[in-house]
Amino acid sequence: MALPKDLLDILACPKCVREPGCTGELEYRESANQLVCHHCKLVYRIEEDIPVMLIDEATPLEE
Amino acid sequence: MRCLVTGVAGFIGSHLAQRLLEQGHEVVGVDCFTRAYDLALKQANVGQLRENDKFRFVRGDLAEMDLHSLLEGVEVVFHMAAQAGVRSSWGKEFQLYLHHNVFSTQRLLEACREMRPRRLVYASSSSVYGDQSHYPSSEEVVPRPISPYGVTKLAAEHLCVLYWKSYQVPSVSLRYFTVYGPRQRPDMAFHRFLKAIWSKTALTIYGDGSQSRDFTYVSDIVDANLRAVEAGQPGKVYNIGGGARATLREVLCILEEVTGNAPLVSWEKPELGDVRHTMADLGLAKQELGYRPKVGLREGLARQWAWMCDWLEKESGLQVRGNVP
Repeated sequence: MALPKDLLDILACPKCVREPGCTGELEYRESANQLVCHHCKLVYRIEEDIPVMLIDEATPLEE
Repeated sequence: MRCLVTGVAGFIGSHLAQRLLEQGHEVVGVDCFTRAYDLALKQANVGQLRENDKFRFVRGDLAEMDLHSLLEGVEVVFHMAAQAGVRSSWGKEFQLYLHHNVFSTQRLLEACREMRPRRLVYASSSSVYGDQSHYPSSEEVVPRPISPYGVTKLAAEHLCVLYWKSYQVPSVSLRYFTVYGPRQRPDMAFHRFLKAIWSKTALTIYGDGSQSRDFTYVSDIVDANLRAVEAGQPGKVYNIGGGARATLREVLCILEEVTGNAPLVSWEKPELGDVRHTMADLGLAKQELGYRPKVGLREGLARQWAWMCDWLEKESGLQVRGNVP
């Protein structure tokens, strides 16, 4: 199930969001159940429709 | 209204979120699912909430997350998240208590400073009192916690008061007195006792059983939180207790009545950090919040026993109705 927009609107990458000039913007990959921070090259998983926004549980982005 | 509930997958947080949703409010819930206790219980707690389309849930650490966006549009913050447990707060694990209880609260207060919710209700604890010379304890006595856990809860409480005085963050702190009821954490006494009775094993009492607690049923705690939003004075602290205290020996008698089984007891030495007695002076909460505890100990334990039987049946797959098999 797709994450609701109002939930996506309040999510940001916890690693970089407070860095100067950074917004912590995430790309939502619905089919892969992922939220991707291209700035940090990190992937946050979505598990059973729950975004897991924990830095130590994020995985490196493979490009 | 839109509310943020931190620690939403926990014992009290999940009950509070459930009541808010029943009242038609929107709830954004955050929980980091610490490994402090059974993940399955936390998942079950939040699972019920997720059936409501006004509930949004994020797994995150308050010490890391972007709290400003989380607070967007939020009118009331219920800060229930914490690393709980007196006995584990000694030694190396204290770092976790600092992280989840003090630093996370400070970050939340900083975010509230900018985002300006109209109320922040903070879950403090009777553990801030320590052992007192007189009971009941009023909010005016000097708190002297005797556990590192109590120290961190008091530190966070002081931060809440400080952020009100300095930045007008409208915090209200509630000192919970030994909360119990369905979904109680597995490390807490009644959960351990009832599980022992269910499984026909001995329950452990640390001390001689004459120690006492002001036990408070979880729905009374939820009531207090809701009252704190409208009636709590910013910057103030309120005791939230059950209205009467009981010794552990008295509790054993009630457990036998409620479960229909005499508990087997193993007596151990008292543990460091456990206070001898707690008892709340509820004068301020009654006067300013209109708070009145409604659920007595016998009724509350009966409800928790019923929930425990269901929960333990699901865990074990056994069929139990009423008494232990």
